[in-house]
Amino acid sequence: MSFMPSKNNQKKLTFFFISALLASACGNNQPVNDAENITLTLLAYDSFTPTPTIFDDFTSQTGIKVEIVLGGDTGELVTKAQLTAGNPEADVLWGVDNTLLSRALDSKIFAPYATKNLADLDESARSLVPNNEATPVDTGDVCINYDVNWFSERNLAPPLTLRALTSSNYANLLVVPSPVSSSPGLAFMLATIAEFGEDGWEEYWKSLKQNGALIVGDWTTAYYTEFSGSSGKGERPIVVSYGSSPPAEMIFANPRPTTAPTAVAALTCFRQVEFAGILRGTKHEREAQLLIDYLTDIKFQEDLPLTLFVYPANNKAKLPEDFLKYSLRPESPLQLDPVFIAKNLLIWLDTFTNIMLR
Amino acid sequence: MTTIYNHSRASNWLAALPIVAISLFVGVPVINIFISSIRLDSLSLLRTTAIRDIVWFTTWQALASTMFALLIAMPVAFCMANFKFTTQRIITSLISMPFILPSIVVGVAFLQILPRNSRRTAFALILAHVYFNFGFAVRLISTRWLQIHPHLDDAARTLGASPQKVFLTLTLPLLRKATTNAALVVFTLCFTSYGVVRILGGPSRSTIETEIYFRAMQMGDVSGAMLLSALQVVIIVMLFYASTKIKRNTVEQTSRPTISRRKPLRTKIQKIVATIIISSATVFALAPVFAIALKSVITNSRFTIAAWREVFRNPDILQSLSKTILYALVAMTLATLLGLFCACAIVYGNERLRIISALTTMPLVISAVSIGLGLIITFDQRPFDWRGAQFMLPLAHALVALPLTMRIISPVLQTIPDSIRQASSVLGASSWQTWRNIDLKIIRRAIISAAAISATVSIGEFGASSFLTRRGAETLPIMISRLLSRPGDSLQSQAFVLATLLVLFSTVIIFVIDSLDSSSNATTENSHA
Repeated sequence: MSFMPSKNNQKKLTFFFISALLASACGNNQPVNDAENITLTLLAYDSFTPTPTIFDDFTSQTGIKVEIVLGGDTGELVTKAQLTAGNPEADVLWGVDNTLLSRALDSKIFAPYATKNLADLDESARSLVPNNEATPVDTGDVCINYDVNWFSERNLAPPLTLRALTSSNYANLLVVPSPVSSSPGLAFMLATIAEFGEDGWEEYWKSLKQNGALIVGDWTTAYYTEFSGSSGKGERPIVVSYGSSPPAEMIFANPRPTTAPTAVAALTCFRQVEFAGILRGTKHEREAQLLIDYLTDIKFQEDLPLTLFVYPANNKAKLPEDFLKYSLRPESPLQLDPVFIAKNLLIWLDTFTNIMLR
Repeated sequence: MTTIYNHSRASNWLAALPIVAISLFVGVPVINIFISSIRLDSLSLLRTTAIRDIVWFTTWQALASTMFALLIAMPVAFCMANFKFTTQRIITSLISMPFILPSIVVGVAFLQILPRNSRRTAFALILAHVYFNFGFAVRLISTRWLQIHPHLDDAARTLGASPQKVFLTLTLPLLRKATTNAALVVFTLCFTSYGVVRILGGPSRSTIETEIYFRAMQMGDVSGAMLLSALQVVIIVMLFYASTKIKRNTVEQTSRPTISRRKPLRTKIQKIVATIIISSATVFALAPVFAIALKSVITNSRFTIAAWREVFRNPDILQSLSKTILYALVAMTLATLLGLFCACAIVYGNERLRIISALTTMPLVISAVSIGLGLIITFDQRPFDWRGAQFMLPLAHALVALPLTMRIISPVLQTIPDSIRQASSVLGASSWQTWRNIDLKIIRRAIISAAAISATVSIGEFGASSFLTRRGAETLPIMISRLLSRPGDSLQSQAFVLATLLVLFSTVIIFVIDSLDSSSNATTENSHA
């Protein structure tokens, strides 16, 4: 009958359906030159939480949409980017810090770009990437935090230097996230290497161990379970955390306390610099460059303090009042050269494990 | 096993789909990452004492966890299979709940309830592993126990056997297969567990799985990490091989249950014993959950429901709730179907198809890091650039749940005596009719159990999700871990609100499916009466 498809037609029909299916599956993968339809993928660490509408301005200015993909912690991001170098999962990567920078640069995951905001960016951060492989986007500090009330109740002075932590006054009071599994822990270990040098840091950790320092797996456990100044109400009043933890304690507290419950020992701080970079092999290099410009521009930079609790890399960005009031910016933080870090990191971690964890 | 289906090709075809799915999404990516990243000079790693210590610790903690989980599960399974009591349904659901809780939630909960000096010890780690797995073992063992015809016990007793003798010489051998299956799964889960080890084992206790993660991600030594991953697979494969030798000698039951084993508690001793066993199991299952619920309403040592209000106003969290449900439904359907196919292929098919049993455990045996890294270097070319594709997440959940669903269905399928099928076919039924009217009816309860477990596995799954999640499609466990890792008391409380919701959610699903199960159970019992 004429309205029934013949066997031959049936085959054609099947072929048509399959090709339609394939076409629709591939449809969104066709390269589109029209900027109106481009969506850039921004790969970031899990704790990347800017204001959700922050990219709306970028989209209305350029017509380019931004999809944020969270890909684990920073180490995970770099390892995945290394494996996919040249054929990346995303267009722009946010969040490689100075402890991992050298590994990222060695495996050539980035396409260099000098942003138009370069002159406004923090000079010492910029000096870490002289060839503009990546762009500094924010800075922060990892410091000793202490429970203000715990010390005032006991009329005891809080520890102000790294050396002080080995004093018997502070025996069994310190909790540290392990540098093997936590990025603030790693920064703190590097702080001790910056302070005491390659020859002295091992001895320092041995005395910390004798003084009863507790090593835990991650920052959350250290800060929220063991530290007495957080909601976890642990037993130890000294913890390795961020320089911006005190403002975070205030701003997220409900109701807000009258005085800050925690404070930072400025001389113990290690500077962390975070970078964003264009992933080499992206199909949208020009658009990715525009995004890097936007990420370093004032509007986005001013969003960072209260959302990521870091300092903007752009010197022209203004800091919110709440943040200024409760945070402390160390004047001369401890630092180490990323190349030096990359060269020795495995050995240092092994040494640390042998001293503290066996 | 010889069945009337042996002559049909269907059983071979049934095996094809799961084999293809596992090979494509686990086998190929893992082989790819192994080949492309392992360098021979990493072999020196295996000679270091550090790695030897890690392998030894991983093995003994898994053995201890499995042993204790089974020791606790046995008496509970006994009560569940032999007694009928009013709270049975809800308690079955409650003790299954720990199995699907995300590891970070359990880790944090145990930190709350354990005395300070026993946190971050091997004891804490083993206790948490037992907590996770004993409910699953109860389910597996009691499902099989219910299949043992009560007349068998009666017969033995009439012949003069004491209750102990009945248990040792009749029940235990019949339960051996289910127990071995439970032990294998629990061992594998404890051997490869990651989140609990990170939180409760403390930084000085690495297992192979956590070491793989540190090497690959923190240190950038992908080669060393993948070598360890291969070692982990080798160890478990050897274990499974040894277990197939044991399982060959198991006793097959020759009757099928027509009346329920479950009898009301009659004597005083029965009542006391059952009460003690059931209530301790329930308290054990609930204590960490209560700690979580308490944390959700207490901020700064004050009672407040602020976090609950914030959670329900947050559109991201509401979206995450709906995604979690959607993924769970898809994963449940996939895992149950694939599990059924696998079970049928193993039971009806020829010896060679037993390989499926080993294949399905691949997603559990192989470290999530290897699978995750393998996927991103394998599916990276158009049109197969599936990095970040939405369907990957429920698919991964289904593959994680598959070894469980298959193991819930296959032991029951195995107990069906072929004589019933022969009778059916002699009476003129086709193979398909026979399967539908006999096999399917008998395994229906197991299928429902499998569906319940797989849905809840999907809801609580963390490892694969953390690798595959994209923004806007976070499942609840991912949301919880992100909130937990961010500073601020109110965010911490919100994490505990979500954890509480997740517990409620999963308990409700298990409870509803268990209710369906027991009502269908009741109808079959009535029809037999």
